[in-house]
Amino acid sequence: MTVSLTLDSVTAHYGSTQVLKDLSLAVEAGELVSLLGSSGCGKTTTLRLVAGFLEPTSGSIRLGERDLTRLPAHQRNIGLVFQNYALFPHLSVRDNVAFGLKQRGLSATERLKKADAMLERVGLASFAERMPSALSGGQKQRVALARALVIEPPLLMFDEPLSNLDAKLRIDMRVEIRRLQRANGTTSLYVTHDQEEAFSISDRVAIMNAGRIMQLDRPEVLYQRPANSFVARFVGFENLIPMQVSARDGANVTARTEAGAALALSQDAFGAIPDRFVLAARPDGLAVTRAGEGTPAGIPVTLGIRTYLGRAYQYQCSTPGGDYLGNGPLSEPLEPGSAAVLAPVPEQCCILPPEG
Amino acid sequence: MVKRLTPWILAGPASLLVLLLLILPVGATLLATFADAKGWAAPYLAFFNSGFRRTVLWRTVEISLITTVISVILGFIAAYVVAQMPGRLKSIMIIAAVFPLLTGVVVRSFAWLILLGKNGILNSALLSLGLITEPISMLYTEGAVIAAMVYLFVPLMILTLSGVLEGIPKDVLEAASSLGAAPFAVFRQVILPLAMPGLIVGAVLVFTGSFTSYATPQLLGGERQMMMGTLLYQRAMVTFDWTGASTVAAIMVVVTIAIVLVMTRLARRLNPMAA
Repeated sequence: MTVSLTLDSVTAHYGSTQVLKDLSLAVEAGELVSLLGSSGCGKTTTLRLVAGFLEPTSGSIRLGERDLTRLPAHQRNIGLVFQNYALFPHLSVRDNVAFGLKQRGLSATERLKKADAMLERVGLASFAERMPSALSGGQKQRVALARALVIEPPLLMFDEPLSNLDAKLRIDMRVEIRRLQRANGTTSLYVTHDQEEAFSISDRVAIMNAGRIMQLDRPEVLYQRPANSFVARFVGFENLIPMQVSARDGANVTARTEAGAALALSQDAFGAIPDRFVLAARPDGLAVTRAGEGTPAGIPVTLGIRTYLGRAYQYQCSTPGGDYLGNGPLSEPLEPGSAAVLAPVPEQCCILPPEG
Repeated sequence: MVKRLTPWILAGPASLLVLLLLILPVGATLLATFADAKGWAAPYLAFFNSGFRRTVLWRTVEISLITTVISVILGFIAAYVVAQMPGRLKSIMIIAAVFPLLTGVVVRSFAWLILLGKNGILNSALLSLGLITEPISMLYTEGAVIAAMVYLFVPLMILTLSGVLEGIPKDVLEAASSLGAAPFAVFRQVILPLAMPGLIVGAVLVFTGSFTSYATPQLLGGERQMMMGTLLYQRAMVTFDWTGASTVAAIMVVVTIAIVLVMTRLARRLNPMAA
């Protein structure tokens, strides 16, 4: 049974502080969507609302046809995996996994059969008799995963499940979670602050900030085509240059930075360019060339520190309007202090709406 | 050599104190019961042949058990409520719960005399409300002793339990409800087993405290509701029957140890973590 999860204009408060602002989100049946953001962005609040540990101030939460909004947590039938594993310390691994089955009134033999089968699937069959305190972090999280999966919930939710594991184990567990989620086709909501984790595990990622979803899309789109400055900054567009169009000639546009430097941009290459916009580029989206005769028009800069990146040199570039990071070819190292020109590489840049 | 002796030297004074002030006097008391001219068992036979003393022993066990059960229930509820509170309020509530411990047992038992007396606050209130036409005698009943003892021991229970309850991670409880456990199931299958160690420690403290209490039964139970503590005092100080007093003491020690052992056994059975 695969169903979709729908949050419709959900608002939530902690005391008088608004932590979610009119949030709407749809997770398609069988899809894994991550909520990504720094602490305090509302991602965990969203998960807790869906789990039933918090009540929204307004809005509705639906799982398939079921309205969850005011349903108590224990009636929601959602599998949850916690950051701190949250295993029952007084129960053996097997009894931990069987806990949910017991609440569902399954007979002891059936519970045992299902719990053991699930432990087999997560590779912990031989640990069934152990107490959680005798397990490593990775094993604990596998038990937690088994415990959430065994009740065959229509929705799985993960709250930073890998944060307490070391780097190597994190990647193994990530693959494991994805494998089990895919195999069951369970609709999933995954909360993390780790961009790499979110991008690698998810069908779609919602980047959140201050109680809102800034952009919800496939990782590829988020990474290459951020919709706004916040998302751009989040995915590593280090240069965000506010610009204003000063002249238009067919597809060719002349735009100026706040400091007055002019750039000639083609709408054929960059797409539609509004009158005011932010030019967003990663360092490899701004090409550094020596200033002099024959160099293309660009933003004139003074070069600062040069860093060797292996595939290119990276330069700190200072201008009266602010500092940027640009890359230059290995064939032509430039000296700090020399004058250079920054030119945007169309396929590496994004035209974003102005901030604020 | 010195290094090897250091622990012994450090542990010395305390061990000596315990030896001199606890083991020797208690040992002497117990030995005294076996020195009877009519054979070692004679004092015990005398004790158990007396219907009155058997009643006292039984009453002491009964009052202590009832006190323990009530204290566990009341203490658990209070500790649970306190554990849910936000930080600041929690500290205030704990201090409030412990505050009575700062006054002496006699003072606190005396307060119940004022409450429960013939012209006491409770009788006056009931009379003025017209619920009764003449004062009820509440003093010198088992109920009075139990009420006062519960009042004495509930803070102890709250203190031991709130620590344990606070130690239960919130996400474990959330995990339980996400897996479909209704609030009562969460309580029975998660909170209660995890609180069991604290519950047993608290229960043992309350039971031994009640079983060996003296001031409360003396003030609120009097001659009519004599308990082992008051019987011991009467044997030693009123009748100067030292062997009899020692026998009472010996029986108290044995019963206390036996009950504590049973309780810890029970705890281990109920709590697989201790296994």
